[in-house]
Amino acid sequence: MEWYKDYPHIGYDLEVSLLVFITFSVRSQDIRNTVGNIPMEWYKDYPHIGYDLEGKKIFKPIRNKDELDEFLDKMENPDYWRTVQDKMTGADIRLSDEQVDLVHRLQQGKFGDVNFNEYEPAIDFFSNEVMIHPVTNRPQDKRSFIPSLIEKEKVGKLVHAIKMGWIKPRRPKETTPQYYDLWAKEDPNSILGRHKMHVPAPKMKLPGHEESYNPPPEYLLSEEERLAWEQQDPEYRKLSFLPQKFACLRAVPAYSRFIHERFERCLDLYLCPRQRKMRVNVNPEDLIPKLPKPKDLQPFPTTQSLVYRGHSSLVRSISVSPSGQWLVSGSDDCTVRFWEVSTARCLKTVEVGGAVKGVAWNPNPSICLVAVSYDDTVVLLNPGLGDRLVCTATDQLISSYEEPEEVMDQSVQWAVAEGEGHEQGHRLILKHPKTVRQVTWHGKGDYLACVMPDNGSSLQVVIHQVSKRRTQNPFRKNKGLVQCVSFHPIRPYFFVATQRYVRVYNLIKQELTKKLMANCKWISSMAIHPGGDNVICGSYDCRLAWFDLDLSTKPYKVLRHHKKALRSVAYHRHYPLFASGSDDGSVIVCHGMVYNDLLQNPLIVPVKVLKGHTITHDLGVLDVTFHPTQPWVFSSGADGTVRLFT
Amino acid sequence: MSQVQARFFTENKKYLIDDVPFSIPAASEVADLSGVINKLLEAKNDGHKHVEFDFLVRGQFLRTSLASHMEKENISTEEVVEIEYVEKFTAPQPEECIMHDDWISSVEADSEWILTGSYDKTARIWSMEGKAVMTVAGHTDVVKDVAWVKRSENLQTGSLVVNDASLLLTASLDQTIMLWEWNSERNKVEARHCCRGHAGSVDTVAVDPTRTKVCVLPTVEEDEIEEPNRPRKKQKTEQMGLTRTPLMTFSGHNEAVSSVLWMDAEELCSASWDHTIRLWDAETGEQKSTLTGSKVFNSISYSPLCRRLASGSTDRHVRLWDPRSKDGSLVLLSLTSHNGWVTAVRWSPSHEHQLVSGSLDNVVKLWDTRSCKAPLYDLAAHEDKILCVDWTENGLILSGGADNKLYTYRYSTCVSDAGA
Repeated sequence: MEWYKDYPHIGYDLEVSLLVFITFSVRSQDIRNTVGNIPMEWYKDYPHIGYDLEGKKIFKPIRNKDELDEFLDKMENPDYWRTVQDKMTGADIRLSDEQVDLVHRLQQGKFGDVNFNEYEPAIDFFSNEVMIHPVTNRPQDKRSFIPSLIEKEKVGKLVHAIKMGWIKPRRPKETTPQYYDLWAKEDPNSILGRHKMHVPAPKMKLPGHEESYNPPPEYLLSEEERLAWEQQDPEYRKLSFLPQKFACLRAVPAYSRFIHERFERCLDLYLCPRQRKMRVNVNPEDLIPKLPKPKDLQPFPTTQSLVYRGHSSLVRSISVSPSGQWLVSGSDDCTVRFWEVSTARCLKTVEVGGAVKGVAWNPNPSICLVAVSYDDTVVLLNPGLGDRLVCTATDQLISSYEEPEEVMDQSVQWAVAEGEGHEQGHRLILKHPKTVRQVTWHGKGDYLACVMPDNGSSLQVVIHQVSKRRTQNPFRKNKGLVQCVSFHPIRPYFFVATQRYVRVYNLIKQELTKKLMANCKWISSMAIHPGGDNVICGSYDCRLAWFDLDLSTKPYKVLRHHKKALRSVAYHRHYPLFASGSDDGSVIVCHGMVYNDLLQNPLIVPVKVLKGHTITHDLGVLDVTFHPTQPWVFSSGADGTVRLFT
Repeated sequence: MSQVQARFFTENKKYLIDDVPFSIPAASEVADLSGVINKLLEAKNDGHKHVEFDFLVRGQFLRTSLASHMEKENISTEEVVEIEYVEKFTAPQPEECIMHDDWISSVEADSEWILTGSYDKTARIWSMEGKAVMTVAGHTDVVKDVAWVKRSENLQTGSLVVNDASLLLTASLDQTIMLWEWNSERNKVEARHCCRGHAGSVDTVAVDPTRTKVCVLPTVEEDEIEEPNRPRKKQKTEQMGLTRTPLMTFSGHNEAVSSVLWMDAEELCSASWDHTIRLWDAETGEQKSTLTGSKVFNSISYSPLCRRLASGSTDRHVRLWDPRSKDGSLVLLSLTSHNGWVTAVRWSPSHEHQLVSGSLDNVVKLWDTRSCKAPLYDLAAHEDKILCVDWTENGLILSGGADNKLYTYRYSTCVSDAGA
């Protein structure tokens, strides 16, 4: 520290100025604070600030200046700027001119001493020049001229590592410069990315033989071809020039259309639509709705098993007995035949007076009656098949009828068959005013509905009650031409299908409940699901419409599987199956599952096309009906046969 | 694989050869193997005549080349293959063609007489030569099934002792079964009983092995058993003799019962359109077990030799069942070759592997259960649906159908093989 003995200061601190002040204060007043180098705020709550050499308290000078006094002091005292407070004693000290100058010098980064020359010439003692009197004259170390053992050891280790392959010397340098790909992560579909899309220009066709100055003769156009070429529109010409033959290349003139063609190509490239067609690759199979495989929906009829031959004309209508043992068929050859289902044996043939339009077996197993309609007559037949007791009970039921006292005036005449007809099985004969097209039974087997299509007439549908031999006309007037009718299997509803609509009537309240719009031109047939909430309609314009009565009055689904007009539709009583017969000679069996859950829509899957009937007079299948217990379907055709598919 | 090590053996003492393994070409078929055996037999004894053989590899008839058969059956070609050879079954020889007036619904034959039921409401008795012996007329509707009850022996009924009389049953669509007594010497037939009680047509009858009980089946949901020799109720009817009522009624089937048979004296079995075969205890009338199929059963047959049931159903297959299995629906084997409903099946009474089946595709097929892929022989004589087949103890196969013809075939299984 004696280096500093000539200086007023004894070194430098971060707070250079403060140290200087301390030494100043020490010199001038010799008030020594003996607390040492401690943070002075320890004393901030005491009246004193430390202790002097004698051990007496150094009291803090009284400071009662407030902000205003400070401000006034600042404004009025010309030495305010050079007055600092001694932290050790708390006294105010006014800096002298010298001290201020020193502070300025130090602030500027200069030496404190004014006389100090920092640029004195330096003497280089340890230079490369060998002096005759060196600074040190020690002899050279041995290690300075023999190879280092430590280095040898280190090199040996490196060599060993290289030999062992732990270190690979001379790794091949990356010759290709590495650049950062600025656009690597950019989306090519973004607006900027689209500009980068490169559409290569179409390549020009290479010149062929016809462009040659000396083409082979077959490339030269004959006179006719040349004429044809000239008459052709320039756009449709195969070649845009005429191949010509020259004796030598020198004789070839300049191509007159060169610039024109260049220009056209440039124009083409310029006007080329720089747009890529974004084609979506959709697997066509994904667009088809997922339906279960027909294999999983078994059982359903798949093959033709039996053919019931015997009729000589088209078989218009068939019906199966409730037990499933017998089948009845009515044909245009004026006969009704009864068949044994399991063997295709015709057990009985009943002749009637006209072409049979409809047959219907009574669905009540305790009554053995078949309703047959021909011309304007409906005959109730007792075939005498099945249980003898049931047959005799049916006969007794019919003969036990007693004429009521007051005779009602009915539009339909009831008569009891007698004589030869009775022996054949005829029991009751109902004479209608018009031709009867369809007969259908109510599920209980007492009511029988008949359809007499006649446009604009009020008498198109009649309902008979067999036990009381009564006939009623349920409708005061009919809109449209009635095609077919059906009873609801459970509830007292009655379905009437006209050409375009199906109307559902409540028979008890005697009102129209629903009107189903079939969206087709001409309804041909109708079937009611055994649950009663679904209806299918076949139409002459090749459509089959499925109605869900809970869902809507519009078809839930329309199936267009047939190629020609549908003639008949039918539901199975137990299995989730329905079938449709068409003029194209095929029967299509569909799986139609109806769920009890109201939220789940019916599942409709076509499962099988059954072919077998030959098309006669443009008519194929005329009627289809299901076996009551087995998944078998019967179909009758214009070829005079009834076929069983199992 | 060009050569296979094979060892031939047979049960027939007549055709024994040395028990040494041979190396034979793998591509060889039945004819080649038959030639090999014949060569060996000729070398052994000079008087040997050429015999066609059939070959069994692990119980299955060889129908293709040996190599493909072994590949299909997963038989190792490394080891010596054991091949059994049997004399080839000769084709059934057609014997008679008996013309009827109408469709033949049923046939049952024994060693002497053939009984047929027909759709012309009669049953007929024919001699083996095809001569009409007797017409049994009395039903008012189609005769659906016929059965012999007793043949030409002394009849030990409680009160009646009739000499030299046969008893036969006819079941008809008119809901009755009639028991007839036929005196073959005097050639007179007499209705003895008329069994009523069915609420539908009677489609099938079966007589139990002791020939005392009859099981009859209607097409409504019950089967009934009647005991003709101990009538519970005797009643004179106009001209029908005595009327019987059922001894016991088995209820359980939901639909028409198509076929019924006695497995033994205590157990009977019925097949129905409700896709089940049910086994019943004849004493108590309880149902013992049920075999459930997936299609309507048209016909069943039981072989006491192999204790298997064969069923013909509407899906073209003949299926074999084990009636003793308790869990119900186990099909052991299905024989598929027909193109239509199988309407009739019948086991061979003398051979445990063979059965005959008739179908709506007009073909009668003779099957061996050891070759389930293809039938042994197709008998394609009929021109229309086949409705019934039968097989007698003395090797006569009969089939009748909707072409009004009853064909008989003589089929002799080899004596040596019959007991195998």
